[in-house]
Amino acid sequence: MKTSADLVHGYLSAVEREASALPADRRQELLADLAEHIEVTRAERPDTAIGEVLAELGDPRTIAATALAEAGNGAAGAPARGGAPARRGKIHPLVPLLMLTLPFLFAALLPHVPAAQFCSTLFRVIGAVLLCTSVHWTSVQKTTGVLLTAVLPTVAISVWISSSAAPSGDTPALLANLATLALLTGTAAWLWRVRRA
Amino acid sequence: MEPGDSTKQARAATQLRKGVLEYCVLALMRDRPRYGVELLHALEDSGALATSQGTVYPLLSRLRRDDLVTTTWQESTSGPPRRYYALTDSGRAALDEFTRVWPGFRNAVDTFLTTPHPSTGDLA
Repeated sequence: MKTSADLVHGYLSAVEREASALPADRRQELLADLAEHIEVTRAERPDTAIGEVLAELGDPRTIAATALAEAGNGAAGAPARGGAPARRGKIHPLVPLLMLTLPFLFAALLPHVPAAQFCSTLFRVIGAVLLCTSVHWTSVQKTTGVLLTAVLPTVAISVWISSSAAPSGDTPALLANLATLALLTGTAAWLWRVRRA
Repeated sequence: MEPGDSTKQARAATQLRKGVLEYCVLALMRDRPRYGVELLHALEDSGALATSQGTVYPLLSRLRRDDLVTTTWQESTSGPPRRYYALTDSGRAALDEFTRVWPGFRNAVDTFLTTPHPSTGDLA
């Protein structure tokens, strides 16, 4: 015998599955809205069977299809399902990627200019935030991107600076900078390739 | 009766609903903020605009993204807090615009549906 919680969970999982083509934030929002609806309806009509509440909400496939159509709606209101419509008001995916990589290059070229170091850090933090709030990547891709382009280099640089074991001199520092730059470029290239239009 | 007649009827209703649903939802918020379940009940009571309830949430989400509505959480005496939807200034403007064009639109459609079409081009 399935409990109400099982039925609700099963229903929401079905919506989640059917809506897998939606950007993750939209999908989570839809699931939260539906979960809230179920909770409110149950509070207002405690005698109604959960099956009936879910039946009234409708077929998960229909809901997901509507959400996809709404997500694809441009200013013209043309349904653009499965295509690659430009999402209105969203930042171009190149912006976070360039902000995460280019400032590092400048900072590496100008190691003794504090302003360059500061701006580089600032831009890269903004880049990381833009990456995380973008609709072009899944949350897993965003996490991986931030780990590889921001967290890992920062940790490595901190260790490098604080550790006495690090070799001194310009050549090792240059090599380390090149390695970091390669990591940043590689990750950015990967993010560019896996982005959603 | 041909098979598929009821499907065709449903399609006409679906097409119409698609165009006007968001303005009806905005109209429901004209006088005061409403929460989701409340909006759905009002749509359901209307008959013609009743739709699979869950499909209204993606619409509400878009209205929010397009800055036509804002949402606030309010505690309730019974059950969980409710998310209330209210019109923004641009939401009100969109509703006013629809209110302005609708009568002309409705009358034009009525005219097409009721006036017998002359076989020639001139309007008798």
